[in-house]
Amino acid sequence: MQFNWFLPSGSQGSLRRWLRVLGPTWGASPLRRGIQTVSFLVFGWLFLYVCWPYTAEPKPPAPPAVWDNWQPLDVDAETGVAVVVVDDPPENPPAPEVIVTVVDHGAPESRDRGQFRVVVADGSELTLKPVRMDNPDRFDEMSMSFGPWSLSEIKAPEWPSHHADELAARERLSADVFLALDPLVSISAALASRTWLWSLSFAGVMLAVAILIPRCFCGYLCPLGTLIDLFDWSLGRRVTRFRISGAGWCVHLKYYVLVAVLVSASLGVVLTGFVAAIPVLTRAAQFLLAPLQIGLLRQWHQVPPIHAGQFVSIGLFLAVLFLGLMRPRFWCRYVCPTGAMFSVASLLRLTQRKVDATCIQCGKCAESCPFDAVTADFETRTVDCASCQTCGGVCAPGAIRFVSRWSRVDRGEKGAGEGAMGGLSALAKAPEDKGGRRSFLAVTIGGAAAAVGGLAATATVRVFGARLDQPGVLLPVRPPGSVPEALFLQRCIRCGQCFKVCPNNVLQPLGFEQGLEGLWTPEVVADWSGCEPSCNNCGQVCPTEAIRALPLEEKRAARMALAVVNERTCLPHADKADCRLCFDDCADAGYHAIEFETRHTKRDTKGKRIEGSGYDAPKVIADRCVGCGICQMRCYKINVVKEGLLQASAVRIEAGHDKEDRYVDQSYVQLREEEAKRKEAARKKRVGDDAETGDYWSESLEKKLKEGEGQ
Amino acid sequence: MMSIRGLLPWFVVGALFVVSFVATTAGADVVELSNGRKYEGKVISQDDKYIEFEMELRGRRYSRRFSISVVHAVTRDGRREVITPGTGGGSTPATSSGAGTRPGTTPGTDQRRTKAQVDSLIRQIGTTEPDWWKSTPLDYPRTLDLNWPMPPPRGWNSQRNVGQYVWDVINPNPNRWKSGVRLMHHLLMKHQDSPQRRQRAMRELGRMYHDLLQDYPRAAFWWRQADVENDRYYRGGVHLAECYWKMGSKAMAVELLGRLPGHYSKIKLYADMGETDRAIELTEAYANARGGAADIALLHGGDAYRVVGRYKEAIDCYTRLVRLPPTAEAAKRIQRNKQRARVNIEAIRQFELLDLSRVPDATYRATSQGYAGPVQVEVDVESGRITAVRVTKHQEKQFYSAITDTTRKIVAKQGVKGVDATSSATITSEAIINATGRALADGMQ
Repeated sequence: MQFNWFLPSGSQGSLRRWLRVLGPTWGASPLRRGIQTVSFLVFGWLFLYVCWPYTAEPKPPAPPAVWDNWQPLDVDAETGVAVVVVDDPPENPPAPEVIVTVVDHGAPESRDRGQFRVVVADGSELTLKPVRMDNPDRFDEMSMSFGPWSLSEIKAPEWPSHHADELAARERLSADVFLALDPLVSISAALASRTWLWSLSFAGVMLAVAILIPRCFCGYLCPLGTLIDLFDWSLGRRVTRFRISGAGWCVHLKYYVLVAVLVSASLGVVLTGFVAAIPVLTRAAQFLLAPLQIGLLRQWHQVPPIHAGQFVSIGLFLAVLFLGLMRPRFWCRYVCPTGAMFSVASLLRLTQRKVDATCIQCGKCAESCPFDAVTADFETRTVDCASCQTCGGVCAPGAIRFVSRWSRVDRGEKGAGEGAMGGLSALAKAPEDKGGRRSFLAVTIGGAAAAVGGLAATATVRVFGARLDQPGVLLPVRPPGSVPEALFLQRCIRCGQCFKVCPNNVLQPLGFEQGLEGLWTPEVVADWSGCEPSCNNCGQVCPTEAIRALPLEEKRAARMALAVVNERTCLPHADKADCRLCFDDCADAGYHAIEFETRHTKRDTKGKRIEGSGYDAPKVIADRCVGCGICQMRCYKINVVKEGLLQASAVRIEAGHDKEDRYVDQSYVQLREEEAKRKEAARKKRVGDDAETGDYWSESLEKKLKEGEGQ
Repeated sequence: MMSIRGLLPWFVVGALFVVSFVATTAGADVVELSNGRKYEGKVISQDDKYIEFEMELRGRRYSRRFSISVVHAVTRDGRREVITPGTGGGSTPATSSGAGTRPGTTPGTDQRRTKAQVDSLIRQIGTTEPDWWKSTPLDYPRTLDLNWPMPPPRGWNSQRNVGQYVWDVINPNPNRWKSGVRLMHHLLMKHQDSPQRRQRAMRELGRMYHDLLQDYPRAAFWWRQADVENDRYYRGGVHLAECYWKMGSKAMAVELLGRLPGHYSKIKLYADMGETDRAIELTEAYANARGGAADIALLHGGDAYRVVGRYKEAIDCYTRLVRLPPTAEAAKRIQRNKQRARVNIEAIRQFELLDLSRVPDATYRATSQGYAGPVQVEVDVESGRITAVRVTKHQEKQFYSAITDTTRKIVAKQGVKGVDATSSATITSEAIINATGRALADGMQ
């Protein structure tokens, strides 16, 4: 069986000529270059378009239901209670308790009769009761009307969902698909947190495909690899002073990096974000490209500030690119632990490159191989070959074939060494090595060193870590739906996707505030902006379930923090000025979690309260507040930045025990319902028998009051 | 075979139909309603409360029950009987609301309900519990002292003292108002044997129904129970008069106001009822008197001019308030009222007095507070028309829709009056409207 899709060197035709114009590698293996291009464009499309949260607009409110042609049967001019009938009962007539606006089409003018509540609904007959008793002349008008009336429903505004809807509509391909396909991402996060993650299945599929086509991820799909190709083509090949000839010391580096990452992951520290291919790229795109996109397409004042942590990440990324000055695809060949993972998978490969006896030993294949996978005798270094098939396309006699691992390809005497190349020693085999004891020693010592390195890295991160067990440590406010902090730090691979999809950059990367452990993890920066009620994007793009992919109704109920009012600085609390910014914004957002309490009421000399004295000061209702931070944002923007009245926002969201709900799989809606039940039980207990007040009005009360008048 | 017997009912129905048809066309009864409308048909029954009436309209037969109160006269079998004299029919037809109303006043006509009607309404509604009663649970803090001692213990404790709890916690929070009414009703029940406490509870019920829920019949009911008309030390009387007016009897309101001792809160009610002259008279009296209520009087006086469209005088009145010398007493309240006056002056200039034909051709610029900072707007005026509105500087993060949507609306409406804010971008939208209004008002000559 053959798996060749390169264009044989001898093939003629206009296609070949045209592809040659694009470049020799296009001509040799056009399918590979094509897939690489598509994959790279898909990555860009996902990052720049799908994860761009600024085109979502709130839906206009749905038009109210209108029921026409009601005839008034009886209207009480005193109380405004009206009985109306209709000839053809509508399919969905107004139900009891629905509030409608009555419009009288029989009246010559002033047709709006105000709001009425449906009290009885009986098929084609309704009884309507006015919501308010003011403006009673309308009742007179109505009692003299013969209709027809139309009733239009008044609906409570719906919870907005435009951000969630838009991402869902755009996500024809999961926005985090490349992260999920990077096996190191999910394997290390799953190992560190000792839990199953959905992305493991993606990683599994990718590894399975990589067994069929060895290291195809590196050769075809990896957008970082493609970017490195572009870098090498545009800059790398022009700068030759840093070129090295042999790989030397670094030839096994990627395995050591992989071992170190897996060792520290098994100890609960995720270093993946520093070195795995896709997180390195997504984070770089987030820190370099996203600010440009926001600045150019929106406004520069919306670009969040940059800090040391981001510079470290950018530096890391530039280092990855500039390694290419030493040898093309240096990162992919020698450093990338994701690539190492695929190299290990290649041990189980089903197909591989083989060379037959027609080989003329011209060396073109070795020259063209970007992965340094062709040995001195033009055989294949199977764990390094990324199946790009470029060599097949440049081979003039057509001696290279991609075939089943077990198919026999006759190469005469030179093919003898092939059998010995299997097994673990293949991993250890340096390009110059001939295999054997030396390489076995190298892999043992190197592996041990890597393990020790992993331990050392783990210890370093722990020493400069989050120290969650200690009192008074910084607890950053995490995105809504984040799993408990310790687990969060084990699952978050610092890819930066959540920053990209977050409207107005509420989520921003931590620097070193939480030590090395918290570096690049998302934090809610409420001084910058508040969490948008219609959005659940961050959880949808998190590849490792550090942020749960909550449906919007769950996200609405998930407490990410609690707003705390500083009563010493808050203007009304401090007896300084009226201010209702936080109150209004909380109500606008739909949470209604801030109430007023009048404070600093003055009393006159007789002890009577002076009307209009005192301030209405905000008070947070803890079980309604989800910690979105909209209140803090407004207080900061207006009272701190614009007016200069405060040093810091007087209402701040805080994380920590009792201030946030962070669960691995529990429903937040259910949690809220149980909370409401407990609250109602507590109320009943508090009020006790008082709840049975008796009649609203009774003869006996009336008698008593009359007697009182007599006294 | 169909027997003649089977057809008999149809003959009867047919005959009845013919008879009734003849009745409606030839010897039809006539009901004249107090709004001047006449209907021809058949009076089925009539008692002291209702008239049952049957008629044909647009090909449909209707059976209607008219409340006697809306019927001016009935003609039965050729004999006309006037039921409610002087309310309509031949005399000047009572206008339906809308026509002849002054801007700002809700009920237009002077007298729509008799005293007897208002009294019966207060009684009828006042003694029944409101719709929301059953769904509003009784709730109050555990620490609240339901014994409600008067005066409360020294110091301020809104979790213990009922009055302070209502003041601090109930009043400022609309979502607690109904629950507050329940608590007060509960206290009334609890203390029904204590004249002093139940008096307090009923006044509070009146105040809550009026100030908070705007449920005028119930407010009037409890205030009447508490006999506030004759209470010289409680201000509820003016508000009771307001209830009467809102319920349709201006006469009752005016009569009660006349009996009550002087108070500046009368200014607002007189103004709302369209008695501008009386309101202004009182304004002048309080504005020039010593007693420290000049600010409130001038604010209400300005409002009184404003609702009847006398904008110049309204601005004068507000300006006098703004120029009041600072006083130590009630300084905070005066500050707030001055601020309100400034806002009102600006609103009148921007919305009511704006005349584009007096704005010279130019580009005008102004800023207003937006969501996250100032919003700057530029307005182009060319030969009396707004040709463009641009947001030139802003720090808004979301709500971009307002920036294009609101500016477009302003150009379409050729002004800021009647431009409604873009939904879900209200604050940004209002900032654009305000800044545009300010820019144009400043540019007007």
